[in-house]
Amino acid sequence: MIKFEINGRSVSVDADPDTPLLWAIRDEIGLTGTKFGCGIGMCGACTVHVGGRATRSCITALSDVEGTKITTIEGLDDQANHPVQEAWRNLRVPQCGYCQSGQIMQAVALLQDIPAPTDDDIDAVMTGNLCRCMTYPRIRQAVREAATAMTGAQDNG
Amino acid sequence: MLKTLFFGALAVGVVGAAGFGVYAYKPAIDPVTANQRAAFDPEVVEKGRVLAAAGYCATCHTAADGEAYAGNYAMETGFGTLYSTNLTPAMETGIGSYSAEAFRRAMHEGVDREGRHLFPAFPYDHFTKMTDDDVDAIYAYIMTEIAPIETEQKPNELPFPLDQRFLQAGWKLLFADLGRFEPDGEHSDVWNRGAYLAEGLTHCGACHTPRNVLGAEKTSEQYAGADIDKWSAPALTAANASSVPWTAAEFKSYLVNGTTDYHGVAAGPMGPVVHDGVRELPEDDMDALAVYLADKVGATQDDPAQSEVVLASLRKNQPDPQYRRDLGERLYATACASCHYNTAQISQGRPDLGINSATNLETPNNLIHVILDGLNAPEGIAGVVMPAFRGALNDAEITAIAAYLRDDRAGQPAWPNLAETVSDLRVNGPAGH
Amino acid sequence: MGNKLLSRFTNSSSATPNDMTRRGFLVSMTAAGVAFGFPRASSAAMDPAAPNGVPVESVGETFEPTLWYWIDSEGRVNVNIIRAEMGQHVGTAIARILADELEVAWEDVNITHVDSAEKWGTMVTGGSWSVWQSWPIYRQAGAAGRTALIEAAATGWGVDPADCTARDGTVTDGTNSITYAELVSAGLSRSFSEDELKALPLKPHSELRLVGKDVTALDIANKTNGKAIYGLDAKVDGMVYGVPMLPPTRLGSSVTSVDDSAAKDVKGYLQTLTLDDPSGTVPGWVVVLGETLMAAKWASQVIKVEWAAGDTANVTEAEINGLSRALIADTTKGAILATETPDTADAFDKATNVIEAEYTTQTVLHFQLEPVNATVFQNEDGIWEIHTGNQWQSLILPTLSTALGVPADRITMRTYMLGGGFGRRLNGDYTVPAALASKAVGGKPVKLVFFREDDAQFDSPRSPSVQKLRMAFDTDNAVVGMEHHAAAGWPTGVVVPSFMPKGVNGEPYDPFAIDGADHWYSVGAHRVRAISNDLANKTFRPGWLRSVGPGWTNFAVESFMDEAAHQVGADPVEFRLQHLKAEGYNAGSAPNAVGGASRQAAVLRKVAEMSGYGTAELPADTAIGIATTFGQARSMPTWTAGAVQVHIDRETGEIDVQKMWLAFDCGTVVDPDSAHAQCEGAALWGLSMALYEGTTFENGNVVDRNLATYTPLRMIDTPEMDIAFVESTEVPVGLGEPGTTVIAPAIANAIYNAVGARLRSLPIRPDDVLAALNA
Ligand code: FES
Ligand code: FES
Repeated sequence: MIKFEINGRSVSVDADPDTPLLWAIRDEIGLTGTKFGCGIGMCGACTVHVGGRATRSCITALSDVEGTKITTIEGLDDQANHPVQEAWRNLRVPQCGYCQSGQIMQAVALLQDIPAPTDDDIDAVMTGNLCRCMTYPRIRQAVREAATAMTGAQDNG
Repeated sequence: MLKTLFFGALAVGVVGAAGFGVYAYKPAIDPVTANQRAAFDPEVVEKGRVLAAAGYCATCHTAADGEAYAGNYAMETGFGTLYSTNLTPAMETGIGSYSAEAFRRAMHEGVDREGRHLFPAFPYDHFTKMTDDDVDAIYAYIMTEIAPIETEQKPNELPFPLDQRFLQAGWKLLFADLGRFEPDGEHSDVWNRGAYLAEGLTHCGACHTPRNVLGAEKTSEQYAGADIDKWSAPALTAANASSVPWTAAEFKSYLVNGTTDYHGVAAGPMGPVVHDGVRELPEDDMDALAVYLADKVGATQDDPAQSEVVLASLRKNQPDPQYRRDLGERLYATACASCHYNTAQISQGRPDLGINSATNLETPNNLIHVILDGLNAPEGIAGVVMPAFRGALNDAEITAIAAYLRDDRAGQPAWPNLAETVSDLRVNGPAGH
Repeated sequence: MGNKLLSRFTNSSSATPNDMTRRGFLVSMTAAGVAFGFPRASSAAMDPAAPNGVPVESVGETFEPTLWYWIDSEGRVNVNIIRAEMGQHVGTAIARILADELEVAWEDVNITHVDSAEKWGTMVTGGSWSVWQSWPIYRQAGAAGRTALIEAAATGWGVDPADCTARDGTVTDGTNSITYAELVSAGLSRSFSEDELKALPLKPHSELRLVGKDVTALDIANKTNGKAIYGLDAKVDGMVYGVPMLPPTRLGSSVTSVDDSAAKDVKGYLQTLTLDDPSGTVPGWVVVLGETLMAAKWASQVIKVEWAAGDTANVTEAEINGLSRALIADTTKGAILATETPDTADAFDKATNVIEAEYTTQTVLHFQLEPVNATVFQNEDGIWEIHTGNQWQSLILPTLSTALGVPADRITMRTYMLGGGFGRRLNGDYTVPAALASKAVGGKPVKLVFFREDDAQFDSPRSPSVQKLRMAFDTDNAVVGMEHHAAAGWPTGVVVPSFMPKGVNGEPYDPFAIDGADHWYSVGAHRVRAISNDLANKTFRPGWLRSVGPGWTNFAVESFMDEAAHQVGADPVEFRLQHLKAEGYNAGSAPNAVGGASRQAAVLRKVAEMSGYGTAELPADTAIGIATTFGQARSMPTWTAGAVQVHIDRETGEIDVQKMWLAFDCGTVVDPDSAHAQCEGAALWGLSMALYEGTTFENGNVVDRNLATYTPLRMIDTPEMDIAFVESTEVPVGLGEPGTTVIAPAIANAIYNAVGARLRSLPIRPDDVLAALNA
């Protein structure tokens, strides 16, 4: 039994400890918003937050996350209204949408550490996330808009 | 923690015979029962808990899937496998029959209650420096808080005559400098407190001091750095390979959080040292350790954030449109940069690999271990993980990433035998955690 | 987005590719009141706007004037979509076409991606074709509903329907008004014959209220919160997991032994199936079953299977291309397309000057982000359910019927959201092993998942190609003839040979391996020859891949047009304009190609102007290159032009793509935002295939199977882009692919303009540029 918290809920997963976290999240816990693309940490479709950090769940063993707090796309915001999600909707970023959970989770983590990213910063961090529909121009723009919304919100708060 | 340990069974060959027998002989100390022990002051028990943690007793006295302190933790040696003993207060197989005096003798002299010499895998050569009070506190804690568990002690797998415990006395005679810690009047009380902890309880030298052929720490090269379990325990002296000088604040951050902004994280054998260990110590003690270590390493007061080395490294990690030129750089850009990227300054948890210890050490082992097996929740920053690329990238790809980091980012001369080391660690490196 | 098959194949007896009929769509058009063929309780994902994917249910009475939608007693409209959603927001575009004509408020519109029941007719999503094809049908369907509702209201009021209007779900005659909801609640039945439908008045362009207006697609929200349900997310009670073990060759392998003894120690391992496939789709495939996906995967890593390999086990890309060259050299091979003057012998014989060049393109993988997968089981009613993402249900159902040994009406496919299509899922081969595995375990649910390496190994890649182009000039340097010989693996030839049209020499050909070569330039005699490479065809299953043939034929055509222009000392844009004359064969025709070559000339001028081509002052080794195409096919031209500015590093050969400009004339733009997104994505695919994507066959299989070595475009590689649409009221045509077609030649032309190096192979890597510079 591996215990951790996911989206604020405690779970114990009874699976082989070597199981990639991705499949535990999708098949054991039943949250399928996190996707499988490459299985080698190079597309970002499987990105979740472990301890607040963007983490490729396809190459993270279940046993390694014992005791951690995990957030998936489903748990980012109760109403799916995280500023990054809002920006994504406003700019209508998704095409097929398959990469977008990972893109959003990566972007949220980026903005936590770099609240006002330059285009270079966005390129450097988001280049690990493949979008086969090539929504990159909109992702870039959405990250910028989310950054503005979030720093604005902080200033007002 | 350590899977590979050194011990001095070979000492047998170099010790003269006659006087040795006398020296080697230690009498048994009478067993006691639980009832015979006076109740312990709860404050002492609590202090003992902290000390036991900071000495990370549990790390070596707990088997992979075993109960805490119940022993049978396997330690590979060049000569065979040793199994740690049961440290629970179990009467038959644990230390339930130890009196405080017997426990003290074990800690200070490396001799068990029945008078047998202990293998120096048990770092009594450090614990010998601890005060009676501190040792007694650990005793109080174990006797009070640890549930007795009878176990079947696994026999050590050592060939004759290396399995002869009395011969350990010879090693002790040669190498162990038994006796309590003596403060150094040249230094402050804080420094001395740090030295007391580091040299005794937390036994930093056990990993960071090189050993001689017989496995004894070379006191003349204290903290000069050593290889351990195919990891590199970096030098804690001026020889430290960091590109940014350590500060006391960095040491403290490292010991408290398992991470620093400018050096790296506590991983591999160092992981439990921090997370199961020293960070239990009170703040004053952490400060003292930091002061002591900073002095040993020759730390500066400078703010690393302003260091030109840091700023230069940050510039080098800016995205390069020509990232596809080099396999290592391309893989880094696509697999690593999403976490290992910083802009104006380094944020905690996004280590900058240009200045990281792992890329600046003389051997690539630490870097490769972490690429292969990642970091689990208790390693590095607690609750944060790094994924494992063992199953994702092949040896050539990992080699390319390591070479890129070493050459382009750290600006260090290429590691010799890098590719071979990657292959070796993939197959023979102990599992990261 | 592979192709435009429906235009050709809806009615397989159609005489010419352009003779498209709507029969497939209009089946049961008059059958009112028919609900879905299968229980709605199914967990299949059919409504991309609903968090659980379950479509909206009607309340009370419903009115279903055609097969394509119903209106219920609350005035809600549900539009049935037979297209797969894979990023093009197709349901939104189609529903808006219908809602506009029906005159309902957008808020009341829902969409349902339907199952594969026969009544829906041919189901295929490809060819950038969905909007074009749906446009007349859903407009008529909307007009039918509006007409019926107005008539019902008018009858109630005793007024002339001609005096009534409808807007936002309400009918009014100026005095009275009544909502659609009320009319439906009161009971309404009215159906239309096919002729009546055709006679219905459609709204003039000027009165379109939803078409062409900005909208957020219905599937967007669920694609930002993790709720969109893809094939890989399918869940069926009691399902087990399967992973394939792939034979050494795509065709012709057979299993000689299986030893799963080592797998017995893998917890959760269930069994290993050697598939028995009557359909011949997956010869020699083995499926390993486990209680969990990883149990199956780990077991597969220790199971030992031995195969007798098919005879392509050692094939290399070089051999495939070698055969292509030999076939091109043999003038008796291949099909000659029905261009205006296919006989070029005379023109070339008399020519003063002839130029020729060879162009090659490497194998390209789809690498859609969601690896292929399918979940199959037999439901309580004995129906085989295939839960998956698929682009061409009608193609694979008969194959599944053979594989499962049951009639096609005992099989239904439920199409989930696709984590990318790009043509990969036109070939539904991946559903067959899932079906066979389920069959082998008595119809128990099996979810078959391809790991990325498996997906790549047996992708249906874009075939490597070799093309030879020739052009003849007279003494005045005027173009008098052109030849285009193209050899490659043929997707249609392999998967649906019966659907291939015939050339003027009676030989069948795959339009998806030659479209684009039959361009709109007036070049005198024009011979276009399509040749099938059988070694490619049996080594892998050639695939339709985003922009299909035009993705590589235009690399040749548009590079060659530049070469020809330089040959005669003309400016490449001017040279093209001179030959885009809109006369004869290239004059264009209604409804799809009104204006012909003149519209292509217009987008070319536009992109030249946008980019500052020929006028912008650029630094050294920096230049703009231009290309223009007609999108996918002559039958549905999307007039397209692209310009790319590059800087070349002469030291490293690095190609810095600084900016891309695109201009499109696609007729009426139905959903401007999605149109823009599709063009952006398509252009970036073009860039990715021009510079970064390409694998090769070695030992019978592609060498690159995952992202460590296969290296598509990423954010850091993404240049600035400027995209423009020509305003038009013409028939809307496709946009999913055309943007792809112009980028590679524009880049090759830009490189030439920048440093004088002519690159004739895709992808163009820095080393190739260096080699060309040093040549
Ligand atoms: S699936 Fe994890 S990074 Fe691609
Ligand atoms: S939206 Fe399709 S992969 Fe990104």
